[in-house]
Amino acid sequence: MVEYVVRRGLYGVLVVALVTVFVFLTLRLIPGDVVRLQLADAPGVSPEQIAQRAAQLGLDQPLLAQLWRFLANAATGDFGTSFQSGEPVTALIAERLPTTLQLGVMALAVSVVLGVPLGLLSAVRQNSWLDQGLRVVSVAGLSIPNFWLGLLLVTYLALWFSWSPPLVYRTPAEDLGSNLVHMALPAIALGVAGMAAIARMLRSSMLEVLRSPFIRTVRPGAPERTVLVTHAVRNSLVPVFSLIGLQVGHILGGTVILESIFAIPGMGMLIFESVQLRDYPVVLGCVVVYGAVFILVNLVVDVLYGVIDPRIRYA
Amino acid sequence: MSEIAVPIATPRPGGNRRALRLLRRQPLGVVAGVVVVLLVVAAALAPVIAPFDPTAQHRADFLQIPGGPFLMGTDDLGRDIFSRVLYGARTSLLVAVCTLAVGGVLGVAIGVVSGYFAGGWVDTLLQRVMDTLMAIPGIVLLLFVAALLGPSIRNTVIALSLLVVPSFNRVARGEMLRIREELYVESARAAGCSTWRILRRHGLPNLLAPILVVTSLMFAIVIIAESALSFLGIGTPPPTPSWGAMLSDGSRYMEIAPWMVVFPGGALTVAVLAFNLLGDALRDVFDPKQSR
Repeated sequence: MVEYVVRRGLYGVLVVALVTVFVFLTLRLIPGDVVRLQLADAPGVSPEQIAQRAAQLGLDQPLLAQLWRFLANAATGDFGTSFQSGEPVTALIAERLPTTLQLGVMALAVSVVLGVPLGLLSAVRQNSWLDQGLRVVSVAGLSIPNFWLGLLLVTYLALWFSWSPPLVYRTPAEDLGSNLVHMALPAIALGVAGMAAIARMLRSSMLEVLRSPFIRTVRPGAPERTVLVTHAVRNSLVPVFSLIGLQVGHILGGTVILESIFAIPGMGMLIFESVQLRDYPVVLGCVVVYGAVFILVNLVVDVLYGVIDPRIRYA
Repeated sequence: MSEIAVPIATPRPGGNRRALRLLRRQPLGVVAGVVVVLLVVAAALAPVIAPFDPTAQHRADFLQIPGGPFLMGTDDLGRDIFSRVLYGARTSLLVAVCTLAVGGVLGVAIGVVSGYFAGGWVDTLLQRVMDTLMAIPGIVLLLFVAALLGPSIRNTVIALSLLVVPSFNRVARGEMLRIREELYVESARAAGCSTWRILRRHGLPNLLAPILVVTSLMFAIVIIAESALSFLGIGTPPPTPSWGAMLSDGSRYMEIAPWMVVFPGGALTVAVLAFNLLGDALRDVFDPKQSR
C-alpha cells in the first residue's frame, strides 16, 4: 500500500515534469519572439536593446540550458517572474488558485449532491416514466455546453426574476454571502455535466449490483430498505468514485471559461489574460499547476478507491 | 463479441438485416442519426437554405425579435441569426471533420503501434507523451496551443487534434492488446507475416467498431471545444460565422436580445446531443455486453 502510494506519487511527479518540458518547448518553438513582442510598442528600439533584454530574460542561452534552469527552479517552487507585472509567478498563482479550487469544489459538490440521488432513483424505479425522464435529463445534461448553461442561467434569472449575481467579486474573507452567491451560478453550470455522468454511471452500476447473487440471497430475509441502503448502494458507489477523478479534469478546464463569463478572478482568468499578453512565465506556471492539481486529485482518488473497495489489490 | 470467431472469407448472409434489427431496438440512436444527417445536409446546403448572406448587415433591422423575414431574429449588427446558425453548422462540422481526420489517424496509429509492441521502449515513450497530454485539462491545453498559434481555423484544428489524440490512442491500444493475443495473429506471425502486414490486415479491421464509437463521441467533444475556443475569441476568427463566437456576441445583449444566445446555443446542444446519443447507440450495437 505505502509502496503503491510512493510509486504512484513518483510517477505523478514525472508526468508533471513532462508537462513542464512539453509546455516549455512548445512556448519556445512557437513563432513570435517574446522580446520583440514586448518591445514592439516602444518606438525606435535598437538591436542592442533587444539583445540586452533577451540576455536579461535568459533567452540568449541554449534551449536545453534554459530548460534545465527552468526545471531546477520550478522544483523549488520558483517559476520566474511575470513579463508584464514583474511579480513572481508563484505569488500570482498562489493568489488565484484558492478561488479556482473553491469553484471546482463547489461544482463537484453540485455534481455529487444531485447526481447520486438521481442515479439511485433511476435504478430503483427502473423503466418507470421517472427513470426514462431522468435518463433523458442525464444525456441532455452531458450535452449542454457549460458556458451556454451559464449564460442562460444569468439571462433568464434576470428576465424572469429580476435577479442578477453581484457585479463585483468579493473574496470569502471580505463577504462570504456575496462570494457564495457569485459562485453559485458558475458552480451549477459546471456541475451539471458531472451530475449527469454520475447519475448514468450510478444507475448502471446499481442495476448490476441489484442483479448480483448476493442481493438475491439477502432479499428474502431482509427488509427492502436494508437491502438497498446497506448492500446495494454502498457497492454501487465504488465505480462512481473512480468517475470523480475524470470529472475533476472537466471541471478544471471549465473553470477557465466560466471565470471569464462571471468575472471571477481565479487561475482561469489569469491564464486567459496571460496567454493573450504572451506572458510566457505565467502561462507556463499555470499549465503546470493545472496539471499538478489534476494528477494529485487522481492519485488521491486511486488510493482511496482501494480503501473503499478492499478487493482491489495494489499490483 | 470476440467469442464468435467469424472466418474472414465466409460471407455473412443477413448481416445487414441484423444491423437493421439492432438499430430498430435503438430508437433514440436512429433519431440521433437522422439529426446528424440533417445537420450535415443543413451545413452542406447552407448557401441554398439560408435566406440571407450570413455576414450581410441589415443595419435598419438590428436586434429584431424572431419572426417575419428573420426566422431567429437579428443580432446587434442586423445580421440574420438563422443564416448564421446554418453557416455556423458548416464551421463546426468542418473543424470537427478535419480534427477527427488528423487526430483520429494519429491517435489510432500511435495506439496500434503501442499496443502491438506493449512493454517495449516505443510503447513506453509514446504512452508517456499521451499521459502528458492527458494531464493538462482540455480547455487549458486548447487555450495554450490555440492562443499561441493565433486564431485561425487551421490552428484550431491543430489544437483540437492534440485534445483527441490520447482518447483514440487509449481505445486503439487497449483493443490492440487484446487482438495481439488472438489465435489468428499468432498464426499469422508463425506463417511469417511481417509486422506491418499483421497490423494492417488483422489489427485495423478489428479496430473499426470501437473506433467508430469513439469517433462519434469525440465529434460531440470537438464541437463543444471549438465553440468554447471561439467563445473565448481564440477559435474561428470573425467574420466567419461560428456558434461559439455568436454566443460571445450575444452575451453582451443577453437581457435585451436573449435570442442571440438561445438559438446558436440550442443548435450547439442539439448537435452535441445527437452525436452523444449516436455514439451510445453504436456502442450498444457493436458491444452488447457493455450496454446499460
